[in-house]
Amino acid sequence: MTTSSESTQAAAQAVECTLVEGVNLALARALQDDPTVVILGEDVGIDGGVFRATQSLIGRFDESRVRDTPLSEALIGGLPIGLAAMGLRPVAEIQFMGFIYPVIDQLVNHASRMRTRTRGRLSCPLVIRAPYGGGVHAPEHHSESMEAMFTHIPGIRVVIPSSPAKAYGLLLAAIRDPDPVVFLEPKRIYRAVRETVVDDGRALALDHCFVTREGSDVTLIGWGAALSEVMDAAETLATDGVEAEVIDVATLKLLDFETIAASVEKTGRCVIVHEAPVSGGFGAEIAARLAGAGLVNLLAPIERVAGWDTIMPLPRLEDRYMPSAGRVVAAARRVMEYS
Amino acid sequence: MGDVFKLPDLGEGLREAEIVTWHVGVGDHVVADQPLVAVETDKAIVEVPSPRAGRVAALHADVGDILEVGAPLVEFDAGEAKDTGAIVGDIAESPRTTERAKAAPAVRKLAESLGVDLATVTGTGPGGTISSADVEAAAGTRGGAGEKLRGVRRAMFQSMTLAGRNVVPATLNDEADIDAWSEHEDPTARLTRAISIACKASPALNAWFDPNTETRTLHKTVDLGIAVETGDGLFAPVLRDAGNRNTEELRAELERIKQGIENRSVERAELTGATISLSNFGMFGGRFAELVVLPPQVAILGAGRAEPRVVVQDDQPVVRRILPLSLSFDHRVVTGIEATRFLNTVIEDLALAG
Amino acid sequence: MTIVARFEIELTRYLDADGAALGELPAFASNRETLVELYRWMVLARTFDQKAIALQRTGRLGTYASSLGQEGVSVGLAHAMRPEDVLLPSFREHGAQLLRGVTPKELLQYWGGDERGSNFAVPRQDFPVCIPVGSHAPHAAGAALAFKLRGEPRAAVAVFGDGATSKGDVYEAMNVAGAWQLPIVFVATNNQWAISVPRNAQTAAATLAQKAIGAGLEGRQVDGNDVIAVRQVIGEALDKARSGGSATLIEALTYRLADHTTADDASRYRDDDEVAKHWKEEPVARLRSHLTTAHSWSKAEEEALIEACAAQVEQATDAYLAEPPEPPEAMFDHLYAELPSALAAQRDAALAETPE
Repeated sequence: MTTSSESTQAAAQAVECTLVEGVNLALARALQDDPTVVILGEDVGIDGGVFRATQSLIGRFDESRVRDTPLSEALIGGLPIGLAAMGLRPVAEIQFMGFIYPVIDQLVNHASRMRTRTRGRLSCPLVIRAPYGGGVHAPEHHSESMEAMFTHIPGIRVVIPSSPAKAYGLLLAAIRDPDPVVFLEPKRIYRAVRETVVDDGRALALDHCFVTREGSDVTLIGWGAALSEVMDAAETLATDGVEAEVIDVATLKLLDFETIAASVEKTGRCVIVHEAPVSGGFGAEIAARLAGAGLVNLLAPIERVAGWDTIMPLPRLEDRYMPSAGRVVAAARRVMEYS
Repeated sequence: MGDVFKLPDLGEGLREAEIVTWHVGVGDHVVADQPLVAVETDKAIVEVPSPRAGRVAALHADVGDILEVGAPLVEFDAGEAKDTGAIVGDIAESPRTTERAKAAPAVRKLAESLGVDLATVTGTGPGGTISSADVEAAAGTRGGAGEKLRGVRRAMFQSMTLAGRNVVPATLNDEADIDAWSEHEDPTARLTRAISIACKASPALNAWFDPNTETRTLHKTVDLGIAVETGDGLFAPVLRDAGNRNTEELRAELERIKQGIENRSVERAELTGATISLSNFGMFGGRFAELVVLPPQVAILGAGRAEPRVVVQDDQPVVRRILPLSLSFDHRVVTGIEATRFLNTVIEDLALAG
Repeated sequence: MTIVARFEIELTRYLDADGAALGELPAFASNRETLVELYRWMVLARTFDQKAIALQRTGRLGTYASSLGQEGVSVGLAHAMRPEDVLLPSFREHGAQLLRGVTPKELLQYWGGDERGSNFAVPRQDFPVCIPVGSHAPHAAGAALAFKLRGEPRAAVAVFGDGATSKGDVYEAMNVAGAWQLPIVFVATNNQWAISVPRNAQTAAATLAQKAIGAGLEGRQVDGNDVIAVRQVIGEALDKARSGGSATLIEALTYRLADHTTADDASRYRDDDEVAKHWKEEPVARLRSHLTTAHSWSKAEEEALIEACAAQVEQATDAYLAEPPEPPEAMFDHLYAELPSALAAQRDAALAETPE
């Protein structure tokens, strides 16, 4: 297998790019640096992916490595397992999280356990990427946030970037990781923010939470697109003299609880924000851990600002479902009443 | 002896009955109205029901015995009978749950470290929860530790309580002009001497009083209890026979006592038997005070902070070094005149140069 | 009206039920050694199978899926494979696994509940047993794609049952195999039963082989109890796959002579008479007849073989029974390439707990 055109290492360029462009940069970088990387999915080839995440890759790299699959999500879940067992590094795209559920069979029954059930003889260094989340006024099934389903699967990782640089660095880390990673891209912020990304091939750490704002009054925890509401809320709170510490979880599984625990030890108050429905959402896992190892540091009840336990509404009601900065501020104010 | 149930009046003038069959045994739990025993009278066999719920502690008659009405029949365990409604078995009563104070975990941790009992704290946080501020307020000072009184502090608590209960205190305040003192004069030694002399002039203040026997004992020697405040608390070592020691001896003895306190080597015997007390509180601050008379003593002299003051001499204002004095006495046994005489004598002696 | 497509499904058979040649045999079948080899593997598979059932019945093995009656399919297909090909079995291909180099002890470990049984010492890239029916078919497509991308002359062989052909995963894998011309041989072992559901209730398709047509692949039927036929047909399909000729679906006709698993009682849903009838067609006796008639297979050789297989299985059983279980940290140590720090505390807690 050979790479086409590019024969020299691309110089480490700093590029102003959006989140989806960060994904594209990372995929290109991975294809370039590692001949075992293969990209597959529906419409990822000449069309460049319905969100253009794989745009132009087929021009730069051999079409055998950027393959359009037939329309079968179960296949897109199973192909990478065969590829990975034979030593390749597949990065498969599922077009929307709403269509990912047939993949869960392959993730739970095979990818997550291939290494342990063969005691290391076979393994699955694969990445399943999918755009997820609401706020794009999309038709039914295109706005799901079901990341909690994946966090419950032992043996994999679940990674969610919140910015262009994080998308670049975390996706590279995911591709290089020797075990399965579900990489969920918050499509609401695919193009909303531009950031400088240095295409130097450097990965960010997995299993690591990022403190994106320091403060000592209340810890606000989120991931993905919700972080923009969280940061807005932090700004509003600051005008009241309340300094929020903001944590971007980034890797939901495996969770870096230490960073969260240290923050709540400092602030004593915690608000967890996620788009996904509140019950059984990943916020519950964080809350449970805080109520365990972090209990004696809590001054106030743990608040979760999350989607309601309803089916994600269609666009006309979407704004009433998605956690807003206002709801985050209100929750923060509630916990600030405790001292 | 537990609760004894006697053979009840069986009616119709019957005065005795024979025990036929016991339905219960020792250790059984019974409920009210449960048949205890079948007894036979002239007329019939009668079931005697239990008057209460409880545990049978003893049976006071055997089968075949003839009991008179009113004789002990069954003894129940002493203590409150719990009607658990159980014929058999021992249904444990669940402990009464007290309502738990509402406080967040971090607040609880703080309360524990400050020694604050949350049950005693009123919460001002949301929903009536206890906040850190509430805990800190209850603790008194930020970072202060509440502790149960022990040792010397406890002793002070106990003796002051005793004093509070018994003594009828009165206080006389006055000032001594100590301007004539040399720089190196030891105030405690001077005060000790003054007190000794005043005791001779007004012996009623160097006495013990026992209110139970209403007996007053005048003492010949002055055993002066000197209040010493240390980091550990208030001590009152006794300087024995102060009246018969010269100033040198007084100073030496005071020094020895002071060392003993500091080294914590003072013996218990040295802390008891004072006939009158001195509190040189002025070393720390304050001018006048109503001191606490410690029974069986009847008087205590307090010396406040010596300071230059403007006084009138020969109709002129002059600055003199003035030592404020407070004489507190038990007015049940010391008269105002006796107190006044005592204090005047003290003032006179203190005014001397040496 | 124009006919735009027709299809034909061929059935291949060389030996009749009694082992007599129906016509000219393939070249390899005139080689006594080769036939004896095939026979030996089938006898070993059956001996192993009997021992496994016995172990299960005495509480020393977990629930086990017998391959009784299907040895012809397993051995025939594995014999046609090259070492560098990759086998993706379902849960009834013990004969194939044994021939490929999985040891009887490893098989016992797997069915006995020890993950080490899937850490094959020899066929390092063969897939472990697949329990969720048909879900390994897409893996075969992935493996085959890897061979194609790397230009390797290797093929993937995915084996599943008649029930699996109703599964979407199987169709999706066949479909992409056709679309991408992947070097795969799909083997549908039609043993007539999917637990209690008979073949004719599984699908309206006249043959399972013709399901290949829908995916644009060639579909063939073979008499699964004729190990020579199986060997030949699979061999042809593998050659085709390796030479860029795309994938084939082979329906191997056979019969499940035992219960679905040791936890099943087939007498609840099928007739003993029917089973008895199919015993007459079973593959081991058939090849033995042929060997005896056409190649003078002797009683002595037979007895020696039986003894040798029994000894081999016995030795494996002893080794399996003597092996203590792994320490509990094995649950954690192979979950990820490196134990994540997030799991270190849990691992410690698991080790600290002593079972009561």
